[in-house]
Amino acid sequence: MAKTVFVGMSGGVDSSVSALLLKQQGYNVVGVYMKNWSKDLPGMKCPWAEDLADAKRVAVKLGIDFEVWDFEKEYHKKVVEYMLEEFKAGNTPNPDIMCNQEIKFKLFYEKAMERGADFIATGHYARIIDGKLAMAVDEKKNQTYFLYRISDEALKHTIFPIGEMKKPGVKKLAEENGLHNAYKKESMGVCFVGEVGMKDFLKEYIDIKPGEIRDVNTEKVVGHHEGAVFYTIGQRHGLYISGNVGEVNDGMPYYVVKKDLKKNIVYVSKNLNDDNIWTDKLELKDVVLRGAESCPSRTIKTWPERPGACPGRTLEVRLRHLGQLIPAKLDGNVLHFDSKIKRPAAGQSAVFYRDEICLGGGIII
Amino acid sequence: MIYLDHAAATPVSKKVFEAMKPYFSDEFFNPSAAYLPSKKVASEYEAAKGVIAHSIGAKASDMVITAGATEANNLAFGAVLSGDCLYLATEHDSIRKVAEKYHGQEIAVDKNGVIALDDLKAKMTDKVELISIALVNNELGVIQPLSEVAAYIREVRRDRLARGVKQPLYLHTDASQALNLLNVNVARLGVDLLTLNSAKVYGPKGVGALYVSHDVKLSPIFVGGGQERGLRSGTENVPGVVGFAKAVEEAAEHLNGNRKKYSKWKQILLDELEGYELVNKKHSLDNFIVLCYNGIDAERLIFLLEEKGVYLSTGAACAASKGEKSHVLSAIGLSDSEIAGSLRITLGETNTEEQIHDAAKLINEAVAIERERRG
Repeated sequence: MAKTVFVGMSGGVDSSVSALLLKQQGYNVVGVYMKNWSKDLPGMKCPWAEDLADAKRVAVKLGIDFEVWDFEKEYHKKVVEYMLEEFKAGNTPNPDIMCNQEIKFKLFYEKAMERGADFIATGHYARIIDGKLAMAVDEKKNQTYFLYRISDEALKHTIFPIGEMKKPGVKKLAEENGLHNAYKKESMGVCFVGEVGMKDFLKEYIDIKPGEIRDVNTEKVVGHHEGAVFYTIGQRHGLYISGNVGEVNDGMPYYVVKKDLKKNIVYVSKNLNDDNIWTDKLELKDVVLRGAESCPSRTIKTWPERPGACPGRTLEVRLRHLGQLIPAKLDGNVLHFDSKIKRPAAGQSAVFYRDEICLGGGIII
Repeated sequence: MIYLDHAAATPVSKKVFEAMKPYFSDEFFNPSAAYLPSKKVASEYEAAKGVIAHSIGAKASDMVITAGATEANNLAFGAVLSGDCLYLATEHDSIRKVAEKYHGQEIAVDKNGVIALDDLKAKMTDKVELISIALVNNELGVIQPLSEVAAYIREVRRDRLARGVKQPLYLHTDASQALNLLNVNVARLGVDLLTLNSAKVYGPKGVGALYVSHDVKLSPIFVGGGQERGLRSGTENVPGVVGFAKAVEEAAEHLNGNRKKYSKWKQILLDELEGYELVNKKHSLDNFIVLCYNGIDAERLIFLLEEKGVYLSTGAACAASKGEKSHVLSAIGLSDSEIAGSLRITLGETNTEEQIHDAAKLINEAVAIERERRG
């Protein structure tokens, strides 16, 4: 009997082609649109209803069953609230990573299994090689950065149908099969934040609290901000300095290099070599080591499956989605880099790789 | 293409389009300006308003031109000064959402979608200032017995006066869907406020009108240059109104022919379609045919039929696009699965008899595909 796959369908071309491929491969396919939380703010549109219709249209075209699973409450609790808490604590979290960990590869996975699924599938650009999470063939689309925290159990029952394909091939396949969303504009960023941007979204929940922007070297007040929590380390846009945005007379932009949440001060610098911007080590929390089932204490030394990850051996680390792969060594919860790197914002993830395999990652403190 | 969604939108007719054209370019003048060409445009604008007004037994000076029926409906609630309002449970969202601001309460409908007069009477208090009941419902095509409601309202007014209650009471109706098949007359209906919509009668979109009886005190939404008796400021949409007037004229010409045509086509559909329950059995315009295929997801039928070039909808286009279930079908007591299985066909000028036969066949095929898939 054909195996049953529940495939998450977002209405986009990637998950649509995923469903198409599974159907062609002879699976019994059930399409599921996951309804996540969205907030209607004036001037902002999270087009979930259109996405749902697009997903359903493809399901009908393929002649597969289609359901809508409502995860609004859970999404709000696990993703949106987490995100707001992190921002309030001065961090810059990544809600997509949390969504994959808590919703798609947990709630969706569990419900699909309860419903008798043999597998779940998503339209992520990622592969599974020998049971391990691996980079997609399309380097420009590789989404493993967002997947490093998903459980091994879910991964065992996951198919990434387009992981071996490149985006243009996916689009072409959609066109050839008359899937209308081949031409759909790619959704960018977090749906519930939409086009208004994170700062405007946050302002709905966090009161504006004007404070000083100071030059980190001179302590001189160079401008004012709307609340230190709204700013991210490394940010250079949206700073109200000397009446200009991010620029002063000499045309050189200021960067946010430090935040003092208690005093509500944002520190900036024009010096790209500022010590606050550059570092050769990063401390992590909530480190996940993939395939670490025989590694209960989660320390590197008791991780026999991945001797390469032992202290002294080099990992490749990615500090943002599709960012450069930077050699580093992991010692306990600290990543050591051979040369200095630009410090990412706290709350972002450092994801470990070797030879296309995603070895896990952690959240930067 | 077989277009079966005329309640959602109608194409602008050729004559309407021709009538509008000069006013975009040659006759572009602002009707409020002082020189002669402007005065000419102003008088043509007033004449067009007159045509629209006469079609419902009113005068040009009773009409406030708006940018569509939603605005006209919102404006009608400007009649509420301090009181409450009542509206039919099956009203369009442009009534329901604005009524929320005025302590709006729903009036129930019976299983045919017709107003439950008992419920209206039960909810009538001395505070009620406005009652809004669409002449023709936009999802079911159900025609409401407005003159009966108006008769009751006259009684209430007399009673209020006898008891020294000063609160006025007005009746508003949204007649957006009516003009293609009904003679609409404000005096005969007994309404104080009436909404018209150009976009549903083969006129341009973004043009509507509110009939305002002279004894209604209305506060405007838009203020500014004082156009439309000060009730709707903004430079007049001359081409829009000229087109609207032409469309209204054509609707009147086609009225009798349409009735016969749609009645015949409706019967063809009812005869040739298979395995459905008719939802709007009674008191409905003949160009509205709402079918229920219980156990089937009607939205899937829409996507299957879309591939065959047949376009129809599950309910009001706005409600469907928001992914919400129809409050209208809920109000007439349909279960969730019946609502999910409901399909709305609205016939119109773009259709031919041959298309109706073809549509029946294609719908039957789509239903068969879905029944087979479900096993």
